[in-house]
Amino acid sequence: MMEVFLSLAWVLASVLFISSLRGLSNQETARRGNSYGIVGMCVAVAAVIFGEKVSSQHLPVLIPAMVVGAALGTTLAKRVAMTAMPELVAILHSFVGLAAVLVGWAAYLDVDQSAGSHALLYGEIWTDVFIGSLTFTGSIVAFLKLRGTLSGRPLLLPARHLLNVLSVLACVVLSLSFIWQTGLDRTLALAVMTGIAGLLGLHLVAAIGGADMPVVVSMLNSYSGWTASAAGFMLENDLLIITGALVGSSGAILSYIMCRAMNRSIWSVIFGGFGGEAPAPSSTASAPVGEVLATTIEELANELMSAKKVIIVPGYGMAVARAQHAVRQLADLLRERGATARFAIHPVAGRLPGHMNVLLAEASVPYDVVLEMDEINDDFPSTDVVLVIGANDIVNPSAQTDPASPIAGMPVLEVWKARRVVVLKRSRASGYAGVDNPLFYHEATRMLFADARDGMEKLVAKLK
Amino acid sequence: MRVSIPREFLPGERRVAATPESVKKLISMGFEVCVERSAGDGASLPDRLYEEVGATLVADPWSGADVVLKVRPPSELPDGRHEADLVPEGATLIAFLWPARNTELVERLRARNVTALAMDQIPRISRAQKMDALSSMANIAGYRSIIEAAHHFGSFFCGQMTAAGKVAPARVLVIGAGVAGLSALGTAKGLGAVVRAFDTRSAVRDQVKSMGAEFIEVEIKEEGEAAGGYAREMSPAFIEAEMALFRKQAREVDIVVTTALIPGKPAPKLWLRDMVESMRPGSVVVDLAAESGGNCEVTVPDQVIVHHGVTVLGRTDLTSRLATTASQLYANNLVHLITDMGGGKLAVNLDDEVVRGAIVTHKGAVLWPPPKVAKPAEAPKPAEKPAEKPVEAAPRAKHGAHGAAPAGGDSVSTVTWVAIAVLAAAWGVMRFGTGALGLEADPSVRMFAERLTVFVLSCFVGWQVVWSVTPALHTPLMSVTNAISGIILLGGMLHLHGATMGLAGWLGVVAVLFATINIAGGFLVTRRMLAMFRK
Repeated sequence: MMEVFLSLAWVLASVLFISSLRGLSNQETARRGNSYGIVGMCVAVAAVIFGEKVSSQHLPVLIPAMVVGAALGTTLAKRVAMTAMPELVAILHSFVGLAAVLVGWAAYLDVDQSAGSHALLYGEIWTDVFIGSLTFTGSIVAFLKLRGTLSGRPLLLPARHLLNVLSVLACVVLSLSFIWQTGLDRTLALAVMTGIAGLLGLHLVAAIGGADMPVVVSMLNSYSGWTASAAGFMLENDLLIITGALVGSSGAILSYIMCRAMNRSIWSVIFGGFGGEAPAPSSTASAPVGEVLATTIEELANELMSAKKVIIVPGYGMAVARAQHAVRQLADLLRERGATARFAIHPVAGRLPGHMNVLLAEASVPYDVVLEMDEINDDFPSTDVVLVIGANDIVNPSAQTDPASPIAGMPVLEVWKARRVVVLKRSRASGYAGVDNPLFYHEATRMLFADARDGMEKLVAKLK
Repeated sequence: MRVSIPREFLPGERRVAATPESVKKLISMGFEVCVERSAGDGASLPDRLYEEVGATLVADPWSGADVVLKVRPPSELPDGRHEADLVPEGATLIAFLWPARNTELVERLRARNVTALAMDQIPRISRAQKMDALSSMANIAGYRSIIEAAHHFGSFFCGQMTAAGKVAPARVLVIGAGVAGLSALGTAKGLGAVVRAFDTRSAVRDQVKSMGAEFIEVEIKEEGEAAGGYAREMSPAFIEAEMALFRKQAREVDIVVTTALIPGKPAPKLWLRDMVESMRPGSVVVDLAAESGGNCEVTVPDQVIVHHGVTVLGRTDLTSRLATTASQLYANNLVHLITDMGGGKLAVNLDDEVVRGAIVTHKGAVLWPPPKVAKPAEAPKPAEKPAEKPVEAAPRAKHGAHGAAPAGGDSVSTVTWVAIAVLAAAWGVMRFGTGALGLEADPSVRMFAERLTVFVLSCFVGWQVVWSVTPALHTPLMSVTNAISGIILLGGMLHLHGATMGLAGWLGVVAVLFATINIAGGFLVTRRMLAMFRK
């Protein structure tokens, strides 16, 4: 009877989780979706506790652990600044990875040695621990890089691909001895493999540049799902399998979208070491011609006063300078004057998929004026002023015109088709891709060299 | 090259196609400019001003001209000659031509091998704004319509509190908030009136509001914007609602300015006889559409009539009533067009969108109307010439198109194939490999296969569901999936069975601790983020 009850609970929780993701298909239903997820989780936990899967004498240990965890999680969620979302997501991934490793080890220690060969079970444990360990260390490196504790520069060891291949091979060899008990002791084999997988995770993410973090975070999101699935196989629990698969495919899709938006191959992300190749020397034909014309806040204010259609393109620079509130004020002022002020979001703007949307939402920008690249790219030719705030590669025309450019083929916002483009930047440095940006030399472009927040606030004051 | 400016001879037409200022610019481009004697008189631009800037005053502006600049379409002169026949063969004529109305004129021009450009056909694109003579004339007409109305209206526009008593402000209704309408409502507002505006195009609402006027609407939702930002004809249900709204307004307003025009059609009748009759005596209707038949039922073109005490102005010469400024703006529009066409080295480039739109006849052929461009946004982009196309762009773009659609075809089939491959591999291992791997007779093998099925199906469901997530919510998606991947806590809890707490149990408890951080943190931060998204 209890098994039937549990199965029902698993189905209910799975359906709730699927509805939760489904709810995110638009802003109106998203909040309800989140609630579905919470209910699903409660159902699952309650089912385990009341389904006699946990001995009651262990509850005094279990409940405090959950309370402490919930308290920590709540604090994290309340404290985090929206600009720090990427870090939070990364560190949460590492917790899933760590939990998976621990669960894998627990399962290993719990194996009933007396009955059967357990080869399958050992195989599942091995998979779970391998992905879990990799996710754990990889996410920690991603977290440190996003926080800026580690440099965003890729760590490029000599023969790094060989190192990766050797680590994977070592893990496979160890798996043979682990599953079929040949040679090495099982416990030792699992411990060594956990260590190697951890190092592999470190190395894979360390080799990826700071600007490519959106892809890495999505990949780790995916891994954390697969590891939950592997745990489900190991523990013969369908709910874990289903949930893990949902999360895994969600992360995979996000990675795919990110890769496409950056014109990277998904394989180079999985195997690491991209985003840091020395920029190929630009062919002479594409060397930017013309000169960079600077503008002032006053000129920009005058230009905006007479503009009817304005598009604002925010980039990571806006997030770093926390300029989103000033930017929202600017947009409000423009709308009060009867101009249309909209936002154009490139899929990889920021350090996390959808990061810019969250920042603008935080600053109370209505989401219906925040448009995706595909929705707005055709509108640039009829736009009076485009304001690019702290973005570079995502508005680089050489992605379309220069096949030799490292970002060739990457879809970009076609801002240079507007009548006037004003680029707000701290300095003339090139973007993460290390490519010079011909946009800055374009005849319609003016540069405003300032800190994003400072500049925006001055501009708003001027317009008032 | 010689540019000639004939005098506009039609009665009531006081504008001229060149001002001393524009003549100066034309001369600096390298043209020789001839102006017919007293051409600028109507616009208060006496001949000597033209002479001072270097124009030649002539009696016959037509012979020897390479470019003729006019305001009105060529028509029959009082002496019986037709202006179209006076344009030298092969010369260029730039004027308002209204080719849809004046087919006979177009034929004459074609027969004379004239290159004729119609100022009324300049396409409405950003680049051509400086040549958009219709807009500059509409602006003037709109301004003048209020001035005319004020002239016939027996009261102040602005409300006043005087020692002798209170005067209410005039209430002005502007129908059609195009260039003329906006100009009219701005002028009325400037005089202190209470202004309302109506338009079928909801896009102009913000423009109306920005001028400080009230935007009135009907209940029915219907979009009245057609290509190029012009209005289109509406459905009967909409018109009915519109009429009801107007009848209500008619009893309230003092001044009505109608500016509704639909390109190539007679002006729609919007202000009907009964509406005029229900207006307060002394009220004024200014019909800016009088030339195309009028928006008001009682309008008589070119006349001022009084119907049931309401003055109805059917003036068609509003721009001529501001002849100096109208001439100045029109002449500037012409200069901009000529500059765009190469200035002193004037040439017709049919690839130029503006020229292609405006040209009516060229080299003995009628080129009007221009071929339809499917959508301005899809106009050929120079950046996408094949030679410059990045090598890798094409296949990726294909993926891109699919990615945008939820669960796009390509992606789905890829997933399906992967799923089939995984299941087939699993089956293969179990069918042929079990013996070798020592898995024979293990009941867990069958269970594994079942779980694999669940797994593959879940991946498929996940793939379908996640493609439908809007990109704006990708960050919440990550944090919510983060939270639900905390389901791994079940893994920890499932080790807490049995009487004693072994090492496995303790590992499980630690796993639960970390997974709970994830669950609580993930869900809460998602909730926090989603609460910020508002319309």
